[in-house]
Amino acid sequence: MKRFLLLIFLIITSLIFSVKISVLCSPDNADALKWLAQEFMKQNPEIQVEIVPLSWEVLYPKLLQDLRSQAGSFDAFTYDVMTTGAVSFGLVDLGEFMKQHPELVPEDYDLNDFIPQVLEESGKWQGKLVGLPFYNNTMLFYYRKDLFEDPKIKQAFKEKYGRELTLPTTWEEVVEIAEFFTKKYNKSSPTDYGIALMFPRTHTLFYMYLLFFGEYRNAPLGIMRHGTADLEFGEYFTADHKPAFNSEEGLKALEMMKKLMPYSPDPLGSDYGETIEYFNQGLVAMVPQWTGPYLIFKSTLGEDKVGIIPMPGRSVSGQWALGINKFIPEDKKLAAFKFIIFATSKWADKNKFLRFAVAPARISTLQDPEVRAADPRVPALEVTYVSQTHRPRIPEEPRLEDITVEIFSKILSGELPLSMETLNDLAKKWEEILGK
Amino acid sequence: MVLPVLALFLAMTIYPFGFMIWASFRDYDLSKSAETHFIGLSNYFQIFRDSTAIESMKFTAKLLSIAVPVELVLGVLIAFLIRGVKGEKIIRSSLLIPMMIPPAVSGVAWKMLYNFAFGPVNWFLSLFGVPKISWLGDPFYAQLGIIIIDVWQWTPFIFLMIYAGLQSIPQDLIDAARVDGADWGRVFLHVEFPLLRPLILVALVLRIIDCLKTFDIVFMTTWGGPGSATHTYSFYIYKVGISFGWNIGYASALSVLLLIVAIVLVNAVFRLVRMRQQLGLGGEE
Repeated sequence: MKRFLLLIFLIITSLIFSVKISVLCSPDNADALKWLAQEFMKQNPEIQVEIVPLSWEVLYPKLLQDLRSQAGSFDAFTYDVMTTGAVSFGLVDLGEFMKQHPELVPEDYDLNDFIPQVLEESGKWQGKLVGLPFYNNTMLFYYRKDLFEDPKIKQAFKEKYGRELTLPTTWEEVVEIAEFFTKKYNKSSPTDYGIALMFPRTHTLFYMYLLFFGEYRNAPLGIMRHGTADLEFGEYFTADHKPAFNSEEGLKALEMMKKLMPYSPDPLGSDYGETIEYFNQGLVAMVPQWTGPYLIFKSTLGEDKVGIIPMPGRSVSGQWALGINKFIPEDKKLAAFKFIIFATSKWADKNKFLRFAVAPARISTLQDPEVRAADPRVPALEVTYVSQTHRPRIPEEPRLEDITVEIFSKILSGELPLSMETLNDLAKKWEEILGK
Repeated sequence: MVLPVLALFLAMTIYPFGFMIWASFRDYDLSKSAETHFIGLSNYFQIFRDSTAIESMKFTAKLLSIAVPVELVLGVLIAFLIRGVKGEKIIRSSLLIPMMIPPAVSGVAWKMLYNFAFGPVNWFLSLFGVPKISWLGDPFYAQLGIIIIDVWQWTPFIFLMIYAGLQSIPQDLIDAARVDGADWGRVFLHVEFPLLRPLILVALVLRIIDCLKTFDIVFMTTWGGPGSATHTYSFYIYKVGISFGWNIGYASALSVLLLIVAIVLVNAVFRLVRMRQQLGLGGEE
């Protein structure tokens, strides 16, 4: 009885004296964060962590509203890398915080262990460390390994195109392979369509464009014309921060997207969920997708049927970082800091990848033999992380994204002509928004 | 006793309304700053220079001019046709199901129904040799798709109002007409329909207001695309005000304009009816 009463007493006192923090996150990160929160609370019973998942469409507006009003209704949050500029004003300067509270940073917490580009892109804004890389998401190219390795299919491809069926490294090669795997153009194709593309009128189209544009924009000629893209403005801009898409490279990217559309089921009406389903159900032979769906493909099609390679053109980063709300009391800031340090530690980075396929942000995880043996995505990820393209991170990004998606969608559906004039008009709108 | 209710009303209705009017004259963009400054009518002028706003007005007008009349005709027809039919109660209850489903849920369901490869709609059409349709990716079909969802969801509302109205018509009026030799058609045209006219008018006004507010089904299915083909005006307000940047000032101006249009439209309907009455063309309302 005494023990029972003592237990009750301990529970009540821990509830009274514990600090409770709430962490907003996207659903992609939620399971991993919930698990990490449980592990964290075992080690830190004085801190209660509540994970609140919000859909992508709601998370950013909610963050912005709360930070602007300084309401402090949540303590930490995951933010999409492209919203860094917009939410940075409400984020705690973690570099400064680390200096003030060195005792809260474990000895083995090594900032230099983060992939440098990732730390720079998702963690830093205008020189300040405002977030810690949590979900190093990027896009990979998935293909049906069993079909690509089938001797009969390989023979048929060679007869038709006079070359071996190899894994594509450029979009031009993808066009040929996609045509081969589309029943309309090849009656003996084992799949109805070659590739599942998602070009809907959502933020998806904004990043899908970079898969194509990135290849031409970052080719030697593109670099000569536009300069090297920086991590603040990304490939959509020239090195001197003017729109780069109203160029030969920009047109070529849209032409390539149009060229691929006949080999894809409903590209303008399909988004993330639909394309995953098309690949999962064996309707298509290839699909460019984020890192997460691999687990779905693996469980439905089987590991032996799913191949993964880096994106034939260029991939695009879709990182998420963990940051702390600037407008909360100091005790909550301390608790939130402890949690995000824990959630981005070497141990967490490795285990969230192994358990939840949340892409790693640390070099030590990518080099870990256990990780390399467990997940076939690692070699493709290593290549992708150093070659991927980047969306703008400036505060105007959401607005630029919306008008761009509208115009690109109209071009792809044939409502607007695919011409330099159309792209120049769009560039003018960009300049209006940017106040140039 | 009235004070708490009045306070609640002021806080929940009058204050947000006043705030919206105030914000519509200001540069109030949360993605830039929480500070605001007076810019006169700039936000209102901006609406007419904004091609997406104009396209969203056009699609909303299309939705209003196609979906609402179809819903009215279908709702009235169904209400008349199911009377006295065997299993009337079951049919009546089943017909109300679409209206009871939250629009967001029906949006998800319709997105699956419209799926290009695996959707039942394309499968059903394929039985008649119709090739697969891109319901959410083709501008024409995406608009048609939204109209179909709206008709499916809101015809039951019209039906419910008319059906309830029909139940309240005194039977002796109908009996008297029948004794005078009126057939089914004449009873409908000269007895039931005139008595139902006020109800139809209320249903029409409510549907106009509701249609101007169409948001959920677009949010859940097409996100306004392809291009801006299925942007409804309310959906565009959401995007401006919340989704891509918290431009509260401009979103408020768009909302004020929507309110004005709604008031004008509703008044126009009432005036039209009044004019018909004055010309001796109307009924007894």
